[in-house]
Formats: sequence, structure tokens, C-alpha cells
Amino acid sequence: MKDDVCIRNLEKDFDGFKAVNNLSLRVKHGEIYGLLGPNGAGKTTAIRILCGLLRPSSGEAYVLGTKVPDPGVVQNIGYMPQELALYRNLTVHENLAFYGEVFGLSKQQIETREQALLKLVDLETSRNLLIDELSGGMQHRISLACTLLHQPQVLFLDEPTVGVDPDLRASFWRYFEELRDAGITMLITTHYMDEARHCDRIGFMRGGRLIAEGSARELLELTHTDSLEDAFLVYSRTEELQ
Amino acid sequence: MKASRAFAVTKRVLRDLKNDRRQLALIFIAPLLVISIFGVAFTGSVKDVRVVVVNGDTAVGNSSLSDKIISNFDTSVLNVAYANSESDAVGQVQNGSASAAIVFPSHFTQSVVARASGQTSVAPANTTITLLADKSNPNVSDPIIAAVNTAVAQTIQGLGRQAPVSVDSSNAVYGANAQFIDFFAPGIICIAVWQLTTLLTLISFVGERTSGTLFRLLASPLKESELVAGYAVAFGIIGIAQSAVLLSAAVILFHVTIVGDVLLAFGVIALLAIVSEGLGIMLSSFARREAQAIQFLPIVVLPAFLLSGVFWPIQAIPEWLRPVSYILPTTYAVEAVRSVILRGWGLDKIYPDVVALLIFASVFLALATLLLRRRE
Ligand SMILES: Nc1ncnc2c1ncn2[C@@H]1O[C@H](COP(=O)(O)OP(=O)(O)OP(=O)(O)O)[C@@H](O)[C@H]1O
Ligand SMILES: [Mg+2]
Repeated sequence: MKDDVCIRNLEKDFDGFKAVNNLSLRVKHGEIYGLLGPNGAGKTTAIRILCGLLRPSSGEAYVLGTKVPDPGVVQNIGYMPQELALYRNLTVHENLAFYGEVFGLSKQQIETREQALLKLVDLETSRNLLIDELSGGMQHRISLACTLLHQPQVLFLDEPTVGVDPDLRASFWRYFEELRDAGITMLITTHYMDEARHCDRIGFMRGGRLIAEGSARELLELTHTDSLEDAFLVYSRTEELQ
Repeated sequence: MKASRAFAVTKRVLRDLKNDRRQLALIFIAPLLVISIFGVAFTGSVKDVRVVVVNGDTAVGNSSLSDKIISNFDTSVLNVAYANSESDAVGQVQNGSASAAIVFPSHFTQSVVARASGQTSVAPANTTITLLADKSNPNVSDPIIAAVNTAVAQTIQGLGRQAPVSVDSSNAVYGANAQFIDFFAPGIICIAVWQLTTLLTLISFVGERTSGTLFRLLASPLKESELVAGYAVAFGIIGIAQSAVLLSAAVILFHVTIVGDVLLAFGVIALLAIVSEGLGIMLSSFARREAQAIQFLPIVVLPAFLLSGVFWPIQAIPEWLRPVSYILPTTYAVEAVRSVILRGWGLDKIYPDVVALLIFASVFLALATLLLRRRE
């Protein structure tokens, strides 16, 4: 099993409702995989299983060759929840320091990485502001910084760019590409179809299933469309007919 | 379990409080308000309590010491009636028409004089005033005991020399000059810590769940047990700080007397805070939102307030309800803290209560950890 992320016949039942339904996918080492799909498609549920927060009803999921949930592999996972997941009464620095300590980083490590990450998300001057005092988009950027602080090998980013302005979104994706080139593996969900072209491969999800998979170019060619939005609709209709 | 990760959680919780004035106010000002209200409402409010005196003293007139003591009774507090026999007087206390029987032994004056002049053949019982009070309501029995003691002290002072008179109110286990506020102050402090710690952990933890921070933590190397332990230390510290403020207020505003070791009392309260923290985390897994969490509050507060011996002793609670008292952690904390503060008891005497609290703490923390570890 060489792939960093591997999901096989994964199912998740919530009281008889299948949020994830026979899902299988792989993310290669150093690849950006984009998971796309409408609200309720099961993207967050799949990511939560990969991060060890939910137990699969059946099937299995592996991260870095380890079957999850596993207490050891979490050190190498960076999880950015769809929720903000920050302490609103704490400052930017206090949040970063807390998550850093939880991941066993030294004070020194926290300081240097904090500087670099705040520069990346363009919030160097906000270090001592409370999260409550930041705008929604700024809060989101800090959430990303918290995810990257311990320098994980695999990133699960649940809608990392929601609410972020276009300029900064572009720089986020540039940074994701940099990380990928440095050998970091990423599974990213998004609703912005245009962003998906930055992904090496894309999976369309609907009703808990994977309905199509491939690079952006492949998906466009196969559906004879010129936007991923249209491509998704084509697959969505085909799925409905079946 | 790694202490540094648990400690990171402790720091985080304390910082959260430091930055949030509203929560700080809730922790310190609300209980101060409560203790003040109770203090004002119950201090010196007892008036005109009917007591029945049985005076067996054979000495009469000016030479009678018993009559002197009776004449020194504070008549605004005590409404004195007389009975001829102890059984008659006790009967009146039993049927509720009087709150206490005060019995002077026969030859009281004679015996006091004899003992004062060094005759050792006279038994101390002959110079002892027996006070049989209705103890079910310390709110009433306390001032009676205080009034009788004051009258005795005044009388003896008037004699100008040592006189071996004692008042046996042996059922009144807490200090002889205790007022009702002395009795309930330790209880109020325990209830305040219990209620606020449970509420704060409950709200913090529902917050951890809804804001997603708990997801981040559960997907990190932080163990569930470290999270629970970190919170426990934080709330132990907060509990001590709270009780220090409350106890100071009780001493300064209401002159509550502290007989025992304050640090031991703080230790017990910290333990109670840890029990409450465990309960708060447990309850948080049954609430999806803050509003739902608040609904647990009456269930947490009311039984503890009414049944753990804050205002009246456990013995005064109907027998069928008493099992509830015994499964409330506050019952043990109130008893232990009161014993330390008012009776001056040490760990050697309050250890059964401490053991009970330790058992509650272990069980609650273990359950809280298990509930966190549970994955859907
Ligand atoms: N704990 C839960 N209990 C019951 N149903 C759940 C639970 N979590 C998710 N679901 C259901 O599972 C389905 C998939 O939810 P999920 O959050 O994975 O969707 P998503 O693809 O992330 O959607 P979005 O784009 O809106 O974030 C939804 O229908 C949701 O109602
Ligand atoms: Mg989602």
C-alpha cells in the first residue's frame, strides 16, 4: 500500500441513513486530491473517518499505511475542520501556542513556525488580537495556520478557502502547490469548482458515493464540457438515471 | 498520559477565563451576591423564641444564681416560660410549642458555690445547665444557645470571680457562639463551587463540541484522559480561588469564625470542583447546544441545594429522601468543609468524607474520559 490515503468500500451509517456509501478512493503521495460535491454529499463524514473522529460502519480507511482510527498516526495528520475550531476568547498567538503544545512542539518551534505561518496568511499584525476581534475570513486563515503548525505529512482540509477573499485564495492555492512539491499529501474539499483545477485529481461525490474521478482535463474531455460545474451536472444526471 | 499536554489544556482553560470578563463575573461576583443575600436574610433575624425553663434550684431570691442567669436572658430573643418538670418541658419542645428546654439542676447555686470554693466532691453535672433544643432548625437553635451562653457569661462576670458553670448543649455540635450564617456559609461555598464548576465545564465542553475545537483535539496526540485531567486541574484551581474569595467575604462581612485549617478546607473544595468538572463533561455529551446544557442546571443545583445539609442537617431530611442525600457529592463536601471550618477537625476526622469525594472523582473522571473516547 504505497498511497498515503486509501479508502476501501467505506460506509457510514447514521441510524440507517448512509452518509458515505461504498466509497473507495486513493490519494497518492505528494498529490492534491479535490473532493467535490453538493451539501450533504458525505465529504465531511469521509474526512472525519480519515481523521479518526468517526468509526466506519463497514469498509476500511488507511492513512500513511495505518488503519484508522489510530492514536499514533494523528501526529502526522493535519486536520482543518469545516467548523472554525478556534478558541474565540484566546488571542491568535494563544490559539497557535495551545495547538502547538498539544502536538508536542517546543516553545522555540512554536515561535518560529508561528512567524512564518502568520506571514503566509498575511496576519502578522494580528498576533495579539482575540479571535473574536477578527473578521470571518481572517479567522479562517488562522484556522489553516493552526492546521499546518506541526508540519504534518498528510493534510485533510475541509473547505479551507470558504469565506476567504479571491486574492488570498489564490495565494492559498499557490501555497498548497508548494507544499505538494515538498511531498505533502492533501485531500481538500471545496464548493468552488473553479478552484478544483489546482488539484491533481478530482473526485465528484454525491449521496455518499464517488460518481466520477480523474484530473480536471480528463473530466472535461470525457463529458465534452468546458467547466467542471457542467461536468459535475453531467455525471450527476447520469447517476440519477441509473 | 503526558503531563505537558494536560498542562497545556489547563493553561488554555485559565486563559479563556482571564480573557472573558463575563465568565469571571459569573465565577466570583454571582456567589458573592448569593452569600450576601443569605447572610443579610439570616443574620440576627431570630426573635421571640419560646423556651421553657425548668428551675430545680432550691436557692431563691437574691442569692439564686439561676434566677440571675434567667434575668440576664436577652428577652428580645428568648420568650421565657416555666415548667415544673423536665418531661413537661421536653414535651412542649416535642409538640413544637417551645423551641428549647433549659434545665437547672437542683441545688444549682449551692453546688456552684461549693465547687467555686474548691470542694471537689460536687459532681460537675450539678453545675451544668442542660439545654435541650430542637436541633432540626439551627436557624432557631443557634441563637438560643448563644443567648443562654451570653447570659451565663454575663452572670459570672457580675460575680467577679471564677465560677464553674457550664451549659451542656451537647447536641449543638458546632461552636457554642455560632450563628446560623456560620452554619450555612461553608455549605453555600460548596454549592457555589459545585454549581458554577458544573455549569462552566458543561458550557465550555458544549462549546468545544460545537466550535469544532474538540474535533481538532481528538484528531491530535492529546489523549482524552489528558484533556479531562487538564480541565480538572484548571477547575481545581478556580474552585480554590472562588472559595478563598467567598470565605474572605464571609469572614469580613458576616464575622464567620474559622476554627480549623483553611488549607484543608480548600483542598476539599478543590476535590469537589474536580468531581463537578467530571459531571460537567459527562453531561456535555448529552447536549448539542448551550441552551440544552442550561436545562440540566436545575437537576444539578436543586437537589444539592436542598438535600446536602446546607441549611439543615441531613438528619432533618425525611428518611425516604435521605438516600438521595447520600449519593450527592456535595453532602460529603459540605460536611467536611463545615467540620474543618467550624469544629476545627483535621484530616484524621474528615477522611471518610474525603474518601467519598475521591471515589466520586475517580468514577466521574473515568466516565467522562470513556464518553469522550466513544466514537460514533
Ligand atoms: N452525526 C450525524 N448524525 C446523523 N446524520 C449525519 C451526521 N453527520 C452527518 N450526517 C448526515 O450525513 C450526510 C453527509 O453529511 P456531510 O457533513 O458529510 O456532508 P458534506 O458533503 O460535508 O456537506 P457540506 O458540503 O454541506 O459540508 C448529511 O445528510 C448529514 O445530514
Ligand atoms: Mg462538509
